[in-house]
Amino acid sequence: MRVMAQMAMVMNLDKCIGCHTCSVTCKQAWSNCSGVEYVWFNNVETRPGQGYPRAYEDQERWRGGWELNRRGRLRLKGGGRLRKLFTIFSNPKLPSIDDYYEPWTYDYDTLTTAPLQEHTPVAQPRSLISGQPTKITWSANWDDNLGGAPDHLHRDPMIKGIEDKVRLEFEKTFMFYLPRICEHCLNPSCAASCPSGAIYKRSEDGIVLVDQDKCRGWRMCVSGCPYKKVYFNHRTGKAEKCTFCFPRVEVGIPTVCAETCVGRLRYIGLVLYDADRVLAAASTPDDKDLYEAQREVFLDPNDPAVVAEAERVGIPRDWIEAAQRSPVYALINKYRVALPLHPEYRTMPMVWYIPPLSPVVDIVRDTGHDAEDHGNLFAAVDALRIPVEYLANLFTAGDPAPVDAVLRKLAAMRSYLRDINLGREPRESIPESVGMTGEQVYDMYRLLALAKYDERYVIPPAHAEQAHGLEELATECSLDYEGGPGMGGSGPFGESSGGASPIAVENFRMLRDRQTSDTYAAPVDKGSRVNLLNWDGKGTPDGLFPPKEES
Amino acid sequence: MPRITVVERDYPAIAAKMGALGPLVDELGVTTKGLTYRVEREVEYLKGKNGAIRGGPADGRPSLVRDIHACETILALSGTTNGHLATQGFRTLEQRTGTRLADLAAEHEGKRIAFADTQAAPVPVITSPEWSGSETGGRRYSPFTINVERRKPWHTLTGRQHFFLDHDWMADLGEQLPVFRPPLDMTALFAEPGIGDLGPAGITVRYLTPHSKWSIHSEYQDNLFMLSLSRGGQTIWMSEKDAVKIGVADNDWIEAVNRNGVVVARAIVSHRMPEGTVYMHHAQDRLIEVPRAETSGRRGGIHNSLTRLLIKPSHLIGGYAQLSFAFNYLGPTGNQRDEVTVIRRRSQEVVY
Ligand code: SF4
Ligand code: SF4
Repeated sequence: MRVMAQMAMVMNLDKCIGCHTCSVTCKQAWSNCSGVEYVWFNNVETRPGQGYPRAYEDQERWRGGWELNRRGRLRLKGGGRLRKLFTIFSNPKLPSIDDYYEPWTYDYDTLTTAPLQEHTPVAQPRSLISGQPTKITWSANWDDNLGGAPDHLHRDPMIKGIEDKVRLEFEKTFMFYLPRICEHCLNPSCAASCPSGAIYKRSEDGIVLVDQDKCRGWRMCVSGCPYKKVYFNHRTGKAEKCTFCFPRVEVGIPTVCAETCVGRLRYIGLVLYDADRVLAAASTPDDKDLYEAQREVFLDPNDPAVVAEAERVGIPRDWIEAAQRSPVYALINKYRVALPLHPEYRTMPMVWYIPPLSPVVDIVRDTGHDAEDHGNLFAAVDALRIPVEYLANLFTAGDPAPVDAVLRKLAAMRSYLRDINLGREPRESIPESVGMTGEQVYDMYRLLALAKYDERYVIPPAHAEQAHGLEELATECSLDYEGGPGMGGSGPFGESSGGASPIAVENFRMLRDRQTSDTYAAPVDKGSRVNLLNWDGKGTPDGLFPPKEES
Repeated sequence: MPRITVVERDYPAIAAKMGALGPLVDELGVTTKGLTYRVEREVEYLKGKNGAIRGGPADGRPSLVRDIHACETILALSGTTNGHLATQGFRTLEQRTGTRLADLAAEHEGKRIAFADTQAAPVPVITSPEWSGSETGGRRYSPFTINVERRKPWHTLTGRQHFFLDHDWMADLGEQLPVFRPPLDMTALFAEPGIGDLGPAGITVRYLTPHSKWSIHSEYQDNLFMLSLSRGGQTIWMSEKDAVKIGVADNDWIEAVNRNGVVVARAIVSHRMPEGTVYMHHAQDRLIEVPRAETSGRRGGIHNSLTRLLIKPSHLIGGYAQLSFAFNYLGPTGNQRDEVTVIRRRSQEVVY
């Protein structure tokens, strides 16, 4: 047994309202500059739908992730090192800008500078690539809410095989939202594809990062990632990806997407796993067994043998305690309601999802039945092959049984809790019918429905003694660094110690400057207001930061 | 009837007056929902906090010169952010209603939320008679808890919630109790073509304008990120069946015309729309990617170009118990949101 810790996320899809707050705040924080205009580390797609980039799940075309060779050994679907070397200068499996979308902006300026004229001024779209006026024909989320579905839906790779059951009729409509970030996989094919060894998985918390100094821009990771969650920065010529907001997580606060999520549907916590078992699990012969195989790689953080071993390999005590309280572990292994996205890619993804019951509830309600009654809901789960088969294509390599089991648990919770809410005698037969106790269902309800902040996010701060492995120094209090607001003037290691400020602290300082400065971050002359999307990233344009205090 | 008063303006002094909190608040207090608060204390506080104006027509009054002054003033004059006012208001209300209320705000009597507090973090508001819910003891807001739990009468003729309206005009219209009214027949009333009619001018459909997914009215609708996550301009959702009838494909430019105006937009074709109905999200402003219309030769309109308020007598009732009239605040029916329009495919070359 080789115990390792992994920072992981679970998203409860029933609660996602598709507001895109997560995408916008992520983009503001991480990819709001030139070269990555088209990049959304976090995106939210309407399913059924093609997603972003278009039809990224079609691995016959993109050849991302892993497959088994004839001897049952794992190999990159896109081909091994040798094949990679031959194609290094012309990577054929790379999505083009059209597969993402051609980013644009508007000549917003006209609105304030147009001379007196007959027609009111209007801002026209301009391509951010050519700078020319453009027609908008695709975006980062074109098929939102099934827009354009009659034209596009058949291109959703997950519809294959069930086309005849997904009807494009008003009465048969079903949809839900799927928010996506990098999966921070246990067996990342992005890293395995990189000829320069620039992508690494941090041993402390499993976050997958691109070393910007080592990256040579081969873009093999873009092809290698089956989730298409590595992006190419056209200005720097390097790969960039979701960082799991490591500067925040290191000081114990949730990622930007999770913190700002309106639906409060994201859970962050640690999972302990046995690194010795990852390869065997990823090589499980049948795609449909991969979900169970990955679940079994996770170690029970309450098992004394696991705890002892974790302590032996130097996982700090508070991390072990955090793993014991982890909402992610509870949802995956205790309640067994979270499922991995596309286990068949064999990368062992670490962002899991609770499939949505709402499409089933909607149908039951719309047909005039009591949608809080577990009997009705169970019957509907059994009878409705759509959405169940569609969900199975996403989360269990097409096996409907685990999806059925999760939906039944969610239905049981709904029904059991209604009795409690209405002050009626709870019926223990309901939890029993899904193999749970009433108390377990109540605890699951507390985690899923009440979803208290400190139960959703159990994030132990990074330790100073691990600092060599992390990008930045973090101490118990992120503000206790030299000159930091948390300290009376001395650094964490005594009077003249110091070093680089943690990124989170820098952000804190910027935030404080912004909040206490007299002007907004805009020049006095509003006509020359900065447009960050047109900024080439060099230097500091006027108005980007509030004026520095004179000292 | 509303009371009509003559307002005298000293035009050259307007700017100076607007830059300060005027003297009438001392005399009249501030009134909301029929309850008047005395604010002498707050005016003194604001003189200290914002500074007082020196000289001119506003001499000695609290400054409203800077944005932050306006914020501090709002926070100081509302019971939700000033515990002293909240308890004062509840005491007044206790005398009027004979029911115990002041304890709801008592825990916060000395608390005052200043602008800096709201910058540091979101701050929960104080329970105040300005609203009908209670957040006392960290409870979450929900409406009418004060009416229900403290038996504070509702602001109606009977003091209860009631559906029945005993107004003469309501009786004449047969609407003393809520009734179903079908959509207006725009064909009979305004000679619009009938829904489903197909002709050279296009297809006639029901036109709805629900609230937007992408913005709060016009706010944020011009934000580049949100535009990049949608279609990047104003759109009309329509069913596949209607789109086929007029040869419209997803993302084609279309024009919607009725007796009120013209809209140019791109079509979103989806099976999520039922045949015969289209909708255009509320308040996509005419600032982003709205070309000129073929029909009029002028800049195409927004969702409200096709709608018009339709007033009926019951909208004008006022001065009777809870029924009051305010200009452009015309009752709950929202009938203008259920219109009829003719849609056709237009030239795909657009001119801005
Ligand atoms: S999801 Fe993330 S960790 Fe997994 S292969 Fe793609 S980029 Fe790598
Ligand atoms: S912020 Fe939350 S609710 Fe909104 S789209 Fe993102 S995941 Fe869904």
